[in-house]
Amino acid sequence: MLRLGLRQSTRAAARSLPASQCHRSYSSRPSTLTKAPRSVRWLQTSASESQDRVPLRKQLKQNAKALKAEKRQRRESEEASRQKWELTVGIEIHAQLNTEHKLFSRAPTSSTDLPNSNVALFDLAFPGSQPEFQAPTLLPALRAAIALNCDIQPVSRFDRKHYFYQDQPAGYQITQYYEPFARNGHVDLFSYDGIAPEDGDHVRIGIKQVQLEQDTAKSQEYPPSTQLLDFNRVSHPLVEIITMPQIHTPATAAACVRKIQSILQSCSAVTTGMELGGLRADVNVSIRQRGDTESAHEYGGIGGLGQRTEIKNLSSFKAVEDAIIAEKNRQIAVLESGGVVEGETRGWTIGSTETRKLRGKEGEVDYRYMPDPDIPPLLIGADLVSELTNTLPTSSDKLIGLLMGKDYGLSIEDAKPLVELEDGARLEYYQDVVDILRDLQQDQDPKSRGGLARVAGNWVLHELGGLLTKADLPWDAERVSAQSLAQIIDHVQRKRITGPTAKQVLAMVFEGDTRAIPQLLDEENLLLRPLSREEYIALAETAISQNPQMVEQIRSKNQLGKLGWFVGQMMRMGEKGRVEAPKADAILRELILGPSGP
Amino acid sequence: MSLLREAERCIANQKSHVALNAFIASLQPSGQWWERVKDAELRTKQGTPISKVDGRLIAIKDNICTRDLPTTCASGTLEAFVSPFNSTVVGQLEDAGAVVAGKTNLDEFGMGSHSVYSRFGPVRNFWQGRDCEPLSAGGSSGGSAVAVATGQCYAALGTDTGGSVRLPAAYTGTIGFKPSYGLISRWGVVAYANSLDTVGILGASTASIRDVFDVVNQHDPRDPTNLSPLSRSRILSYLQSPSCASRLTSTPLRIGVPTEYNISELHPTVRRAWSRTLAYLQQQGHSIHAISLPTTKLALPAYYVLAPAEASSNLAKYDGVRYGTRHKDIGSDERPRGYLYSYTRGHGFGSEVKRRIVLGAFSLSAHAKDNYFIQAQRVRRLVQRDFDCVFHMKQPLISPGADIEKAPENTGVDILICPTAPSPPPPISDLIDSGSGASPLDAYMNDVFTVPASLAGLPAMSVPVPINGEKKGSNEAGLVGIQIIGQYGDDQLVLKVGELLEDRNMSLLLNIDTLS
Repeated sequence: MLRLGLRQSTRAAARSLPASQCHRSYSSRPSTLTKAPRSVRWLQTSASESQDRVPLRKQLKQNAKALKAEKRQRRESEEASRQKWELTVGIEIHAQLNTEHKLFSRAPTSSTDLPNSNVALFDLAFPGSQPEFQAPTLLPALRAAIALNCDIQPVSRFDRKHYFYQDQPAGYQITQYYEPFARNGHVDLFSYDGIAPEDGDHVRIGIKQVQLEQDTAKSQEYPPSTQLLDFNRVSHPLVEIITMPQIHTPATAAACVRKIQSILQSCSAVTTGMELGGLRADVNVSIRQRGDTESAHEYGGIGGLGQRTEIKNLSSFKAVEDAIIAEKNRQIAVLESGGVVEGETRGWTIGSTETRKLRGKEGEVDYRYMPDPDIPPLLIGADLVSELTNTLPTSSDKLIGLLMGKDYGLSIEDAKPLVELEDGARLEYYQDVVDILRDLQQDQDPKSRGGLARVAGNWVLHELGGLLTKADLPWDAERVSAQSLAQIIDHVQRKRITGPTAKQVLAMVFEGDTRAIPQLLDEENLLLRPLSREEYIALAETAISQNPQMVEQIRSKNQLGKLGWFVGQMMRMGEKGRVEAPKADAILRELILGPSGP
Repeated sequence: MSLLREAERCIANQKSHVALNAFIASLQPSGQWWERVKDAELRTKQGTPISKVDGRLIAIKDNICTRDLPTTCASGTLEAFVSPFNSTVVGQLEDAGAVVAGKTNLDEFGMGSHSVYSRFGPVRNFWQGRDCEPLSAGGSSGGSAVAVATGQCYAALGTDTGGSVRLPAAYTGTIGFKPSYGLISRWGVVAYANSLDTVGILGASTASIRDVFDVVNQHDPRDPTNLSPLSRSRILSYLQSPSCASRLTSTPLRIGVPTEYNISELHPTVRRAWSRTLAYLQQQGHSIHAISLPTTKLALPAYYVLAPAEASSNLAKYDGVRYGTRHKDIGSDERPRGYLYSYTRGHGFGSEVKRRIVLGAFSLSAHAKDNYFIQAQRVRRLVQRDFDCVFHMKQPLISPGADIEKAPENTGVDILICPTAPSPPPPISDLIDSGSGASPLDAYMNDVFTVPASLAGLPAMSVPVPINGEKKGSNEAGLVGIQIIGQYGDDQLVLKVGELLEDRNMSLLLNIDTLS
């Protein structure tokens, strides 16, 4: 996703090169044309003009070179500053839960309806209205917390966080500040999750806590003096996930957000990701000199850290990474120039290179947290937690490990997409194919059966996947049933059809051929039909009779290598796809060298 | 008297006592109420009334939501606000055949002890002091109390956060009952301090209070702080155990007298009423026991930290964005940093409400919270413990394992008797005139005896104990309220003791009448 974004941006830059400029460089210099000694060199500019007019190709080359040098220099200086300064990042992620009702009312959560159509009295903070906690909202929240390996707290409570804003009807947000419902979790990040190379193969980031809270209303500004408010989103249940400050590279921070989003999605705790605004991240960034443990600040129980700043409301993985890089560089610059980093809240605009100050410490809001006196404590039974734990889908890390283990033997390049594609539907299909195939191949020797899973992976991802991509169709497990694909692979494995035939058959089924595979192979005459011994002899004799000298050479000079040439002749003469080379070779030896030949 | 005659008399009284300013919205002489009361009268004649309040006029404090009448909370911010829904209590009363007699005046959002902090002007007490001096009606349910005292309704609903039903009852010579926290639904009751807010009932007799209480004492799933049916039945079965059920039937009461309540500031009239009440009860065969509630002194300051803290949070919603009165000056150019809500809140709230919001915002702020809000919560626990230590009956909601130093069986008391307020109603001039040197803190002092039961969520009732006879014929009745406090859930015993004292009042009055 990240890499894709980068590629797109360079392409966009190339496209934005002014076309008019290119055009001018070709047409506005008739003088050079006449001066040019040879027509092929007519594009070359004269020496006098080269000072202000560099040919386009050369210019592009130079630019690319300069860019490369600049990149290298930046890399080097970044590496130097990385050696000196240690970055520490903690992340807070807000995710909209996949629930039918709001957190404290029975109003539906659908935010695509007409503005202000899904609101209950309490959502609008009407005088005299009271909260009605919707217990089912707890289920996706618990699934999320369990998937993040948290300890579910038997007792948790709701607090009010006060601040005035028109998108906050009550003047406070109900959250879980003092006693959140989940604590002490972690998320594992592997190299395939895209963590920074310096983090090695695996890092574990602690989750300090997960809390339930309300979303705000959506406000739209129409300058100079109009604000429209849509309260459909107000009190939509959110989880806030707070990581420990244990991240030390921007890439790993982005990977962490990406991983948490995919975990939340895989246990259907959330419906939409960052791209649709269902997930937002705030990051805390601090810097200290490596080896320095004297710094005064402590966050999440981790001491010796530098003064942190908070960057609010990051809405893409790239924004997370870019904002951290920018803020890290800013803090290093401040410290290196002898300054002091202020504890403040900062903002980030997509596409910018610097974070900007939103408010300083003096402008910091005192949220005046207070336990909500209307909402009883949340008591969560161990039975519910264990039931949810047992019914939680297997984590993607576990699945990837399984696929790369000895049972399947897939590469990471195949295992990862299988797990990630279509929310696990592709993986389910793949497992069906493997199960049926293994069943079909029971009579085969264990050695050849061992590779079946890898072969099936190739067919599911690349052959079938390729057809889908070419046809630009979404995934459909019924298009080529697992049974059909397994039968096709079985036939190849048994050498009843050749590889190219198999691909042809797959394409036919993909295009809608509903015949069963054996019937299809039979009716289309695609099965490999072995030739009889007599047919082989007839072919061999024809070949021999046409080239008596070569036969003589083989016999007298023992030039056995020439047998291969005869095999080729037989294959050419025989029916296409029916002459099997080893069999032809055996017959030739028999006829030329005699039955007891060497 | 027929229901219709009674209702008509209430309406007539509403008209004749309009100067007392008890109502913010009252009934029109011709209106729907007439049909409804007539129907009820028919049912009653046929012997099939819906309930004991069928056809009765019940006044509703104006911080309790009604769909048909505005709900202003006596505040500028809700001056013209009509709630889109009925509170549960109003719905329950109407379903029982009762008719809303109007919306009564109060201290803005329930914050005050004399019903003078109202957008619609102060409530006036029917009773007058020396030289016809106007007296405080008590607050914040002063409108409800005056409406009951002057026959403008059969009974009235008020709200009691720190004494707001009991104090006006004491000052107007009516009966004011604050049930245990969580018995009556708060859905539709505009929050002042949720953890303390309790709907209370004002009436001229214990019987009328019981009539209303029976209708509204029900579980409501819409109020998350309302007692569940399970807890209700658990408390009921505990109350039916022999040691609880025998009280007042086969065994006399053990009456506790908290010595901490005998403060030096206690007005002699009040002290006299208190001791006469105790003497009377002793005479009836009950035993009197001095008990100690050591945390009493800390209760008032704790209350004035906790209630404003919750108020500052609850009142944050009045920003003029979604409902209520929005100030027409919104963020003028002169004050670029002015926010939409700052004018609305600055102009909409009265001085006492603003004072409490600022107080609450301070005690919740990061630097003050530990010393104020958290500390006050600890005091609240101690106040609860104090009560649990002196009552014979255990607090039924506390799990058995809880560590309470229980008084030995033989010393635990059944009920506490103490004054409702330290003095008779003060003249309004003392409260309003800035020249008198009275500070807001003096008003807070009136709550010193009512706040502890609020902090502990206990049932408490103020009954009038007139000790005059000295100055017959004048309005200056020596108005003293005596407070009955019971253990949590022991509401019926509180009501029974109220009846006991009511009998005494009757006999006293009868005595006076026979004497004269």
